[in-house]
Amino acid sequence: MKTPTSDTLSTSTQTVQRPASPPLPENPIDVSQTHVVTEFKHDIPLTTCRIDPTGRFVFAGAEDFHVYRWALSGDDSSKTLFTGHQSWVRCLDFSCDGRLLFTAGYDHRIGIWNAADENPSPIQMIDAHQGWVRWVRVSPDGKLLASCGNDNLVRIWSVPDGKLRQEFAGHKRYPYAAVFHPDGKRLASFDLMGVIKDWDIETGKEVRSLEAKFMWGFDQKFRADMGGARDMRFSEDGKALIVAGLTEVSNAFAGVHKPMVLCVDWEKFEHLHKWKDDAYKGMVWGVCEHPEGFLVASGAPQGGNKGMLWFLKPGEEKPFHSVTLSHCARGLDVTPDKRQLAVPQFDGKLCIYQMTAPHSLS
Amino acid sequence: MRRDIGCNHIDHQLSRRGFVAGSAAGAVAIGGLLTPAQAEAVKSGQKRILQVFLQGGLSQFESWDPKPGTRYGGPFRAIPTSVPGIHICELMPHIAQRMHRLSIVRSLDLKTNDHRIGRLRIEKGRTAGDFPYVGAVASKYLAAENPPLPGYLHITTRGLEDNTNAFLGAQHAQLKLLGVNAPENLDRPASLDEESAQRRNEFRRLANERFAGRGGQPAFTEAFDSSFEMARRLMKRKSLFEQEPSAKDIERYGSHPFGVRCILARELLSNGATCVKVTHHGYDTHAENFNFHLEQLDEFDKTFCMLLDDLHDSGMLESTLVLIYSEFGRTPKLNQRYGRDHWGASVSVALGGCGIVPGAVVGSTNAEGTEVAEREVSGGDLFHTYFRALGLDTSANHDIPGRPVPIGDPAASPIEELLA
Repeated sequence: MKTPTSDTLSTSTQTVQRPASPPLPENPIDVSQTHVVTEFKHDIPLTTCRIDPTGRFVFAGAEDFHVYRWALSGDDSSKTLFTGHQSWVRCLDFSCDGRLLFTAGYDHRIGIWNAADENPSPIQMIDAHQGWVRWVRVSPDGKLLASCGNDNLVRIWSVPDGKLRQEFAGHKRYPYAAVFHPDGKRLASFDLMGVIKDWDIETGKEVRSLEAKFMWGFDQKFRADMGGARDMRFSEDGKALIVAGLTEVSNAFAGVHKPMVLCVDWEKFEHLHKWKDDAYKGMVWGVCEHPEGFLVASGAPQGGNKGMLWFLKPGEEKPFHSVTLSHCARGLDVTPDKRQLAVPQFDGKLCIYQMTAPHSLS
Repeated sequence: MRRDIGCNHIDHQLSRRGFVAGSAAGAVAIGGLLTPAQAEAVKSGQKRILQVFLQGGLSQFESWDPKPGTRYGGPFRAIPTSVPGIHICELMPHIAQRMHRLSIVRSLDLKTNDHRIGRLRIEKGRTAGDFPYVGAVASKYLAAENPPLPGYLHITTRGLEDNTNAFLGAQHAQLKLLGVNAPENLDRPASLDEESAQRRNEFRRLANERFAGRGGQPAFTEAFDSSFEMARRLMKRKSLFEQEPSAKDIERYGSHPFGVRCILARELLSNGATCVKVTHHGYDTHAENFNFHLEQLDEFDKTFCMLLDDLHDSGMLESTLVLIYSEFGRTPKLNQRYGRDHWGASVSVALGGCGIVPGAVVGSTNAEGTEVAEREVSGGDLFHTYFRALGLDTSANHDIPGRPVPIGDPAASPIEELLA
């Protein structure tokens, strides 16, 4: 990854000249030193973010229906608009080489874009679901795209032509997220009621189903269900499915619940670790695995604006470190070199955190 | 009033489809599917009210006044309706096809963000004071002389107890039905035969007369009398609560609680009820406003439309005023829980049926929906409008001895553009 002090940035919109400076040695990962290195600003709350596989760009959806791109090592002047959806974009993903951007829109459509275009316009907009498209995820070989939506379906599309390949029906309530297993043969999906399904890509059949009902709540007073995944990923070795969301809903309509991260043992298909913060009422909006053996989760509270980053070791009850954010988190992603985090926030800021000590200028 | 402006090709396509669909359904009903009760309800000439109360505060953005693509508009899109130029939120596709039977007021300012005060202002049409609810007024002035059912029935599962009848007499108070269950203790005790029950009632009547003859407060005995009378009427109509909805009704209305409540509402209206209020809970969305409106309006939209269709197809809609309302709307600005909070400053309601111009929009909000832009109306204005639509002179005084109390707030006035 380029350090924030480096050289020349070629973004799609402009070239930013920076003063040349000798490369600094990289400090080791030390989450206790986590600090903000960049704040990209937008004037509308953000809905999600992702960093592209090359580590050049960070993208975020916003409540103004658009997606924005910034050069990760640039500044606000690198902001580029992706317009084409007619509703909020909730989820983003990329082709393996980072050339294509896929966007899941609440306008029922999937957008396919050239991620690095100077003046982006959609290559294709697919009418993907009857209702919101809540999630998109590219397969490990880059040939397939999974989506799920408010028609309770999980669908598989060909990349890059965007043709519908398969349709998985079985969720009784909205599936919130769907992700490919790293072996590329299976797909996991998670719905409103905390039901996890394991699908076989080749046969199109449901293989297994597991309940995580503790990530769902039925509010007796208001007669409403609240639950679902706000983020979901497989660990890189494919042994664990990691889900971010909520637990212990006591008042759905006031958003009174606790944040939760669930790790599922994928082979045994059983709950491996459950983490919640009893002292913090709110939601986990993003979770990432770090190769040094910990998880990072981002959250937003029920009241106030004290967003959080939690650093978790699997199986431990309390975070080994936490960072208070400048506002409520709406997601989380980690750079390919695993040294920086991107956090989209409710106040419109997209904050980049470095998980090392700051470089000493001396 | 704004109508028929800015329509485009797709508006007309949907309009035609919706209209044809509605007409076809109507033709089938007129072809002989009216129940005897519905036929009698139409023949009687009685006017009545259906109130659908969306408890908690329906978001105007996610229903009648969408602002897609604006700062506070949220993620949902606007869709064209059967009335060219009128767009509503995509969460109400069935209503969109029947927009020509309803009208929207987009400029209600209740000047409160409080559940109870908002509800009282819209139900009583007054900003303060002890006044009767819409249903109680309907029971007093619209009910037949010896109505077969209590005049004001409210199908709900919870809700605050209020003095709904105020000074109008206990017989006009709301009778709350818990879901679709018959009121408790409706059966005559097994130990009491019919003759004994009649003798008891006669004794009670004589005792009341004697009490009144000795200068007793008639209000005391009237309240008891009205309770007994309500019970007597309900005992006679107990079968309304006992009959299982048909499979076809369940398929159309849905098997969820709101579905079966609306089926019961239809039966009560068809069998002589004057005002039936059905509450659909779950709109107080301080968190997850969009996910919850998805759920709630998915349930409300189709179910309400089935009830509206049945009223229309039976011919009862012409004599039934339909109101869809909440105690307020929801804030333009989203909070950090994806919620919208209480908002009384720019609220939308929908009306239709008896005496109401169909397919109209009254008033508007500004581009971001933060305030009323034109034709501000109050709860008092709505109250006048309901009853003027039903043929009641709301400038007249209530029929109570001793003091002149205007039926409608003298400081308010009916929304003339809505009156047919």
